[in-house]
Amino acid sequence: MSFTGCNNHIEVHSRREFLEKSGFGLGAMALAHLLDKDKIFAQKRSIASLNPLTAKVSHFPAKAKSIIYLFMQGGPSQVDTFDPKPMLAKYDGHPLPPSMHLEKGINLQNIQANRAKLMQSPFSFSRYGKSGLAISELFHKLGNHADDLAVIRSCYHDLFIHGPALNMMYSGSNLNGHPSIGSWVLYGLGSETDNLPAFMAMTEGIVGTRSRKSFRSGFLPAIYQGTLLRSEGSPIMNLSPPVQIDQNDQRVLLNQVNQWNQRHMDTRQDDTRLAARISNYELAFRMQTAAPELMDISREPRHVRRSYGIGENPTDEFGRMCLLGRRMVERGVRFVQLISTDWDGHAECETNHRTNGAKVDKPIAALLSDLKQRGLLESTLVVSVGEFGRTPMVQGVRGRDHHPYGFSAWMAGGGIQGGKVIGSTDDIGFHSVEDKVHAHDLHATMLTLLGLDHEKLTYFYQGRDRRLTDVGGNNNLAERLIRA
Amino acid sequence: MRHLTIFKFIFLISFLTLVIEITAEGQSQTAVEAKSILVKHCSMCHGSNQSSGLDLRESQTLLKGGLRGPAVIPGKSSESLLFQVLTGVGKLKMPPNNQLLSPNEIETIRLWIDEESSWKEPSLAKKEKLWWAFRKPLRPKVPNVNNSSWIKNPIDAFVLARLTEKKLTPAPPANKQTLVRRAYFDLLGLPPTPEQVEQFLLDTSPHAFSRLIDKLLKSPHYGERWGRHWLDVVRYADTGGFETDMYFRNAWRYRDYVVKSFNDDKPYDRFLQEQIAGDELWPDNLDLENIYTLSQKKLEHLEAKIGTGLYTLGPEVHESNMDSEKLLNEKLTDAVDITGAAFMGLTMGCARCHDHKFDPLSQRDYYSLQAIFAESKEVLTPLSAGMAIADHKQFYPLVIAADEVRKSFRAFEKKAQERIIKLKKKEFPFDVVTAYEIPEEKQTPSQQALAKPLKILIDSILAKTPEGQEKFNKELSIEEKREKQKLLVALGKAILEIPEKDAQGKNFDGIMEVRTASVLGHIDPELIPKIYVLNRGDLGKQNQLVHPSLPKALAQDIELNEILPKSSHRRSRKRLALWLSRTDHPLTSRVMINRIWLWHFGRGIVGTPNDFGRKGERPSHEKLLNWLATEFVSSGWSIKSMHRMIMLSNTYQMSSQVFEPLYAKIDPENRYLWRMNRRRLEGEALWDSMHSVAGTLNLNMGGRAVTPPLSPDEFSALSGNGPYKWHVSSDLADHRRRGIYILVRRNFTYPMFEAFDNPDNSVSCPKREVTTVTPQVLWFMNHQQSLNQAQEFAKRLLKGNNTPSKWIEKGWYLALGRLPTKQEKNESLLLLQAFEKKEIKAENWLNLASANNSIPLSKAVALTKFCLSLFNLSEFMYVD
Repeated sequence: MSFTGCNNHIEVHSRREFLEKSGFGLGAMALAHLLDKDKIFAQKRSIASLNPLTAKVSHFPAKAKSIIYLFMQGGPSQVDTFDPKPMLAKYDGHPLPPSMHLEKGINLQNIQANRAKLMQSPFSFSRYGKSGLAISELFHKLGNHADDLAVIRSCYHDLFIHGPALNMMYSGSNLNGHPSIGSWVLYGLGSETDNLPAFMAMTEGIVGTRSRKSFRSGFLPAIYQGTLLRSEGSPIMNLSPPVQIDQNDQRVLLNQVNQWNQRHMDTRQDDTRLAARISNYELAFRMQTAAPELMDISREPRHVRRSYGIGENPTDEFGRMCLLGRRMVERGVRFVQLISTDWDGHAECETNHRTNGAKVDKPIAALLSDLKQRGLLESTLVVSVGEFGRTPMVQGVRGRDHHPYGFSAWMAGGGIQGGKVIGSTDDIGFHSVEDKVHAHDLHATMLTLLGLDHEKLTYFYQGRDRRLTDVGGNNNLAERLIRA
Repeated sequence: MRHLTIFKFIFLISFLTLVIEITAEGQSQTAVEAKSILVKHCSMCHGSNQSSGLDLRESQTLLKGGLRGPAVIPGKSSESLLFQVLTGVGKLKMPPNNQLLSPNEIETIRLWIDEESSWKEPSLAKKEKLWWAFRKPLRPKVPNVNNSSWIKNPIDAFVLARLTEKKLTPAPPANKQTLVRRAYFDLLGLPPTPEQVEQFLLDTSPHAFSRLIDKLLKSPHYGERWGRHWLDVVRYADTGGFETDMYFRNAWRYRDYVVKSFNDDKPYDRFLQEQIAGDELWPDNLDLENIYTLSQKKLEHLEAKIGTGLYTLGPEVHESNMDSEKLLNEKLTDAVDITGAAFMGLTMGCARCHDHKFDPLSQRDYYSLQAIFAESKEVLTPLSAGMAIADHKQFYPLVIAADEVRKSFRAFEKKAQERIIKLKKKEFPFDVVTAYEIPEEKQTPSQQALAKPLKILIDSILAKTPEGQEKFNKELSIEEKREKQKLLVALGKAILEIPEKDAQGKNFDGIMEVRTASVLGHIDPELIPKIYVLNRGDLGKQNQLVHPSLPKALAQDIELNEILPKSSHRRSRKRLALWLSRTDHPLTSRVMINRIWLWHFGRGIVGTPNDFGRKGERPSHEKLLNWLATEFVSSGWSIKSMHRMIMLSNTYQMSSQVFEPLYAKIDPENRYLWRMNRRRLEGEALWDSMHSVAGTLNLNMGGRAVTPPLSPDEFSALSGNGPYKWHVSSDLADHRRRGIYILVRRNFTYPMFEAFDNPDNSVSCPKREVTTVTPQVLWFMNHQQSLNQAQEFAKRLLKGNNTPSKWIEKGWYLALGRLPTKQEKNESLLLLQAFEKKEIKAENWLNLASANNSIPLSKAVALTKFCLSLFNLSEFMYVD
């Protein structure tokens, strides 16, 4: 056992660990500076490769550089959006045929599946584009992008209440405490921006418990946590100084604090956390300018803002989020999470979905056009899904219950060949039957398109190497998505 | 951690690991292959379905066989039914429909059956003798070392011996100024005041540090510091997390119990016993003492019971229609996982789905442990004497009185609303009103549209928001207004009349709630749920029924009956506690002493404090750990004497500076302790420091969790409605309590603590992460709290001092425990000047106005900004 051999590894390991736990967005410059000062650890190794957030080499060639994850929280109904079921109209009001009865032990949240009656979709479906993709009227503007969309109609898992299901779709586990997909991506690929956090999340309305699940780093180091970008108030917590401290004061304070901190560090050269702190002060100072600049959409031409439906109801809020999403991707943000929060149509599925469709359809369509026009769609994977779908059966008079056994997602950009449908549910949109895509498979696919191998992207925690896809996940889908 | 483990396994003991992995599985390669062949071809029918009673998935079930008898006779393939059926020798041919196995596969099965060793009962216990952590710690001889002048106590001898092996030497001692700051933060989590620093510096006796340690260990604030460490380990929180984040109104009693236990230096074996089985070991039959004050004995029993609160404050999945069976399963999983992690330093989670791959825990062991906890349930235990409770009952009519006034108010409200709605309807055309009166779910869209304006109007009047209330008030007639006022006053009075304290002057828990604690109690024997081994942890796939028992391999040396007769079935937590707290238990003493070491040094002797199993790290100083573990036990499990011993060693008193650059290359992680580790303060310690330095810290102890105000940004980060709100403590002094008392919500970490890596509390946190991220910088630079405390700090400096140079000296001393250097003092003076402005918006600085009348506001403001600068120093946040 050669000890010197081991030592090199200890050194690299420990250094990496230090850095993994240091400053988010430690830019390469700051890091070079830091390492330059750090004579003890002077390494021949490439400096950049030691920064946990510097862009890293992917496992295999990537199709996409960034992801915009459009999350329809609450659970949109598959049979009312992307999965037309004429049979439902035919058997509207009939009970579920006995052949489809749920086994004991399989549950829905509120309704007795085996007794509930089928309900047809109140929405009409049309065929769009050259591909003739069928999409409901809720997404008629998105329909214009049919030839860019790959619709997956066979998503499934088995979690029928919000909390665990959201955890599953956001983090690949029904439990709390697991890293969100954005954190995994950041951990795997690093950042391409020095002025902004590389993983940002935005949500409609007040940030609820549910949305907070979407950007947690769980057991990954906190450096990979998403930053919540708030649409009201300060975009990032504590971004601007209190009223009593003006910019000039702050600069004076920072200069002196930096000098003292630097001197403190001079006799503690080995401790990279101290250097990270110093560069954090500078990054924080830069962010104070960069984040408001990002948020300032008044600089966008009027026609662009209008195309997103900004300034008009009911598209204003989600329109802003989508436009900001594009601006983030443009500025090198790796993972953008945009959450529409209110698709939980228990009582009045039609009204609920009309309201929400009207909020998001135009903004999403504009986002795709805008990305395409700027040549960003090729390198940006846009994914849209909810935590589950809804029952083809009625709940109450006109509602639909939660339903995880068959629901739809769609993807666009990021090298995907659009205009296709993958997988299917049964005749009434109840169970996913053909080319079933589990949440893990969806995640594996997203990682694959970013050039990450979902089985190799691991982190050792509580006794084993953890993955986003746990012990499941299959990325065969990726191949089919990019094939013409 | 991951890299370390990989490194360790690959480069240090890769060969060894390989061997262990195979033996840990207890199977040969042939057996592994053969099993996977059976799973692939046969388990559809002969798996959980057990067609004709046969389950082919495990060796044991193969031996047992099905309706046709045993499937395998070890060593005799030709006589084994399995082999006959696969080869089609007899009548029966399997698998059916001619989907036969390939010749190679059949050959593998044959080899397996003939390999007799594959069929012996896997003697996990025997093999586990190999792993260091599962052998009882033997007290090693203290090594003889050359540099004996450095040795203050045996700890140093062990450390020095290891350093010498690695050709390292220990760092020079830290200076007294560093040492006093280190000791205060370490034991109390508070900075020393300048006076306390002076006192220590002036004490030139060789016993000065020992005296300091004794003084600090006597402080009640020691328990808050070390209790908080323990709370991390047991995933303490005041709420349940998940969707509803339900509030545990009694959790704080467990928190206070922990603080008290540390302050009392409760022996650790007793501390463990109380938490696992306080109710069973000290059953309470003392209620007949019909007196107001509880006897000492009764108080002790109650305290022991409160310890079991540990099992009542775990994560709580609570959502509509959550399956109750699933809920129970989650709770039991939490109970076993936390017991394993906290007391045994083992990751139990793996065994939920399969036999632990690396540690001696079978799936059966796991579910048998669940069965121990399945006998128990959460109960509320009253904490007052019988007479006090009786007294309390006599006041109950006052609650009824309040309830009646509330009802009257509701009735009034309803009547007034009805009158107003009737009036409003008259303002609308007939068809609108008709449409409105149709129940909403039956309205057609056009009716809905028609009814909309009326609906909006009425909803706005009925809204429970302040605006709604205002609208409602405006519509009231003069008489109604008078009536409302009368009822509100009556309601307020009725509530205020309800007594707040019992006869002994002790506060009730909220409105007319007798004092209680949530603890473990027992389920009626006939109602105890049955626990099964679950295939892959899936509730739908129940295998064998299990009964409460200790992990077989780990507890194999213990004659269980010696601890408890088997018949006392319903006291199995007691058995678990007594087993774990045996002086010769291989894990208990090691795991705890390792934690104590970790909290002193920032790194454990075992780097994975919750994983002493094979996937964890090996100890950096195995002998030292064993010695400490035995010493811990022979000290009567006294944690305080361990502090004394550790802190009085030269190892603890080393400087944290890198005095030899080469060492940082050889041992960058300082595994071998050639110097002290520098540590960043935790969120709570930073909060406490800031308030302590500013002179605002409220050192009151215990009680219900407090909730300081949130900034508007932070508040809006909370979910919107109902119980999710953050109810700010009404007593302003409560906003300045120590961090340990701030409400720990699983769904919403207090924002400052979140920035500084407080644990997420869903599982045990053995060691906090230390990240260095921008939100931390933004908090100290920009948060109003930071500025507020800087103002208080400035006010403190202004009191009695009139010259900038005195302010600077005192400020520096308070914040960093030392005077500024000459250079720093000059820079500080210049900084004050740079901050000083002619024009000050006085309305921004009202809080400063009264500080010192002889000092102009502009100077006070500049001083505030200087104080803010001090909070932003690395030296403020790190302890050398």
